[in-house]
Amino acid sequence: MKFLFKIILLTGLAGGFYLVCQESRLSGLEIIDKVYNRAAENDLKSTLTMTLINSAGQQRVRKIMQFSKRYGSDEKKIMFFVMPADVRNTSFMTWSYADQTKSDDQWIYLPALGRIKRIASDSKSDYFMGSDFTFDDLGDRHPGKDTHTIVKTEIYNNEECLVVESRPKETGYMYSRTVTWVIKDKWIDIKKEFYDESDSLLKILTAEEYSLVKNYWIITGRKMHNIRKKHTTLMKLSEISIDTGLDSELFTERMMKRGM
Amino acid sequence: MIIEKMIKKIPDYAKQALVISILLSVFLFLVMKKNSRMETDLDKYMPQNHPAFVFSSQAEEWFQIRDGIIIAVENKEGIYSPHTLQKVKDLTIEIQNIKEIGKDDVTSLYTAENIIGSDDGMTVKSFYNQTPQDAGELDNLKKLVRNNEMVNGRIVSQSETVTIIIAKINNDLYSEQLYEKFQQIAEKYKGPENIYIAGRPIVEGVMAKLGPRDMQKMVPVVILIIVFTLLLVLRSVRAAFFTLLVVLLSTVWSYGLMALFSIPVYSVSTMIPVMLIAIGVADGIHMYTHLRHFTLAHPEAGKKDAVLDMLKNMWKPVIMTSLTTAIGFISLVSSEVYPIKYFGIFTAAGVMMAMIFSLVLIPAGIMILGLPHWKARPEESKTSLFDRILGNFIAEKIIKYKYATIIATAAVIAVSIAGISKVWINSSFLEKFEKDSEIVLTDRFINSHFGGTSTLNVVLSSETEGAFKNPEVLKIVDSLQQAMEKKLDFVGNSFSLADYLKRMNKVMHADAEEYNSVPAQADLIAQYLLLYEMSGDPDNLWQTVDYNYQKLNIVFQLKSDNSKSMHALLDEIKIWLPEFSSRGIEVKYAGSGYKSLVFVDLILSGQIMSVLISLVMIILLLTAMFRNLYIGLIGSLPIMISSLTSFGLMGLLDIPLENTTALISSIAIGIGIDYSIHFIERYKNNALEFKDKKLASLLTVNQTGKAILFNALVVIAGFMVLLLSAFPRNRNLGALVSLNMFTSLIGTLTIMFLVMYMSNIYFKKK
Repeated sequence: MKFLFKIILLTGLAGGFYLVCQESRLSGLEIIDKVYNRAAENDLKSTLTMTLINSAGQQRVRKIMQFSKRYGSDEKKIMFFVMPADVRNTSFMTWSYADQTKSDDQWIYLPALGRIKRIASDSKSDYFMGSDFTFDDLGDRHPGKDTHTIVKTEIYNNEECLVVESRPKETGYMYSRTVTWVIKDKWIDIKKEFYDESDSLLKILTAEEYSLVKNYWIITGRKMHNIRKKHTTLMKLSEISIDTGLDSELFTERMMKRGM
Repeated sequence: MIIEKMIKKIPDYAKQALVISILLSVFLFLVMKKNSRMETDLDKYMPQNHPAFVFSSQAEEWFQIRDGIIIAVENKEGIYSPHTLQKVKDLTIEIQNIKEIGKDDVTSLYTAENIIGSDDGMTVKSFYNQTPQDAGELDNLKKLVRNNEMVNGRIVSQSETVTIIIAKINNDLYSEQLYEKFQQIAEKYKGPENIYIAGRPIVEGVMAKLGPRDMQKMVPVVILIIVFTLLLVLRSVRAAFFTLLVVLLSTVWSYGLMALFSIPVYSVSTMIPVMLIAIGVADGIHMYTHLRHFTLAHPEAGKKDAVLDMLKNMWKPVIMTSLTTAIGFISLVSSEVYPIKYFGIFTAAGVMMAMIFSLVLIPAGIMILGLPHWKARPEESKTSLFDRILGNFIAEKIIKYKYATIIATAAVIAVSIAGISKVWINSSFLEKFEKDSEIVLTDRFINSHFGGTSTLNVVLSSETEGAFKNPEVLKIVDSLQQAMEKKLDFVGNSFSLADYLKRMNKVMHADAEEYNSVPAQADLIAQYLLLYEMSGDPDNLWQTVDYNYQKLNIVFQLKSDNSKSMHALLDEIKIWLPEFSSRGIEVKYAGSGYKSLVFVDLILSGQIMSVLISLVMIILLLTAMFRNLYIGLIGSLPIMISSLTSFGLMGLLDIPLENTTALISSIAIGIGIDYSIHFIERYKNNALEFKDKKLASLLTVNQTGKAILFNALVVIAGFMVLLLSAFPRNRNLGALVSLNMFTSLIGTLTIMFLVMYMSNIYFKKK
């Protein structure tokens, strides 16, 4: 009896161990992929409040109304400036494509000029509206562009996190590597460190607030601190509504001109 | 007197005195070896709490204003060749990888962003990533550059044969190693393209490297010349040896004390050895000359008697003349500029040590080694021709033609004063170098192709948030820039937020030239700026304006770092001040060029102060010494005249005041007064002894004329060595100090003597 018990116990333990192994066998790529595909909402409407703080502690606040909608793995996004007053109704539209050979389409509408202009930039490392975020940092970078390895697991902010290091496959990318703390099961990237070409820590991104909206984990407060420039950007999302069935008509040049 | 009692004991403790002096000197020498450190950060030379510097430092932080190292790549066949463009790319990357330089701090055609407009849009692109290879690509690149006035003429020359890479660097990170590194890089990339490096950090680097070396090179020459002169004057190897030992030890003490108090060696301080060696030998000359007269007159006297007589007669003038010399230097303490302050303190300390060593080591040397073997020369028993010329010719003629002498002196003073009005101060770094030196030629080359290697930052500030989004203000800024570029030919270029807006406005109107202007609507400006932030590198923006648009930085590029150009630009800008002040905008200046300007002005104002202080102190000292205010005033006549003539000559010969030439008067006053002291001392003795004014006068000129002539010759010979310097300013210094010695000498023997003679001092009772 005792023997049988031991056998059962051992088997159970082995099974448990196997499961644990399974869990950790999740590759680095799979983890980052889960993060990339986490916010799989169809459309999103929100107000973005962006606070820029420079090294002298001076602040600038911008308020933007933004709408986005997924078309398969492509995405369309339109943004309207609400604040400050002198840029009110300036709008910005992006159509981004999963096809990596196709570069994003971008338009800007300046109300004082009364004209829509296509803007093109040859680099994805452009900073987003003078913030410390590049478009890549905002989650645009496809996991396939990097090689990912799990470094460790760690408790961060009372959450169990998998720590993944990602190195770019291309040469000459602006970061030599990034290290991401991903909350297990929620697949939220709660913390991310960015290292520059000479492998010194350049920026730290932290998710300050996140909440479950309609079954999706949405990060509602992010903070990016650029260590070298001593510059900080806070991004806060409010008035979030998900999957309200935004009209495709919203993502057109006509809407850019019309404003809110 | 205590001093006299102490001095009389010296012969009895000769060996001890010698050993103690040597031991202490060795100790200080070791301290110097261990602790001495050269200060190369030029910012450390400036008074940190002066409002102009405080503001400039702030502005440098706000706008990331830093000096740039300029690397120019020249291809005489045109830079649009795959080889040259590849070289620019490689150089850029290599420089970006230097530890002290940030990646974003390097600007070149490879890193520059090109904002281009078309009918339906705007693109921000690099000019090239992969080096263009075929003719079509090269031609396209050429067109892109020609169409972008933010690059054309700024990064690529109009001639299309030169392009530059600018690496901005923090002053405190700049080092000699970095300078060497740039030299190596330039060497490595040479051929077939020419590579030039320039810019203020490089000029400062060469300065910091060559300056001390130049002085080191001169020290052995000075020693050699002084040894030669000493042998000639003293006619004894022993005497020459001890006199030299005195000055060498005092130099060791000067640097040793500096190291002991952890004061770094500034570039001015490298002149201390040359100064101390040239000045310090005077005590020895006077003491040995007296000794020689004594032993020739009393061949039977023993060494102790001879030494005691020498000390008894000479301690007073030795202390007196050393004190006055030290006063000249110590007056530099009033300067706000630390290197000058320390130069003054430690040279004065060296002078005082030379005095102590003269009074201790020279007697000790005689006691230990015996009297020098002097032989009376036949001509010395009679009055030599030389003495006759001095005594009879000069003295008699001056008494005879007294009004002519006075008029001549007045004329010299008048011409000098006229010259002084022309004296100008130069803060230029480049003009410290030879006109045909490599560094000057490189600078000229780059200036001939680009806007200019020197910069002035004009910083506007307002209390109102968003003041510099106001089109009205920005249009004034733009007009100011254009007016300066048009009016002053040395202003090659300028740059401000207005240039960004003009570019954006043009680009958003499909590159139409008529829109190359600051837009008139405030909203449009705000929206362009937002657009720029979204598409360009906002850090570029923060170099021209601050976060809340309350501070604006206008950069003027000048083809000369000469103070005259800088002042001309400042004067022109002044005309525009009402335009700004009426809108509540304050205008200030920043940048290293401006700081140098303020710095040199400070040196000058400090200099005037210290000259006045030393004059007053010397008059008081003379008055106290001879217990007569008139003597104090008369005695300082020669140094006043020589100060006037040296400044006057600088004006007439267009020699600018600089941090070294500004020191001349302090040096000259301190040394020049010695002649008056020797003269008056002897005149007083003769007057009291012979009670005949004319005889006393002739005798005095006869007796002291020679001694002070020798003294002046030695100092002049010492300072003339500076003529070998690689730096024009050091040569000017050498020539001017020598000239000063000469005018002091002439002044003493002519006008001072005459005034003394006419004043009837010491003959009043008759």
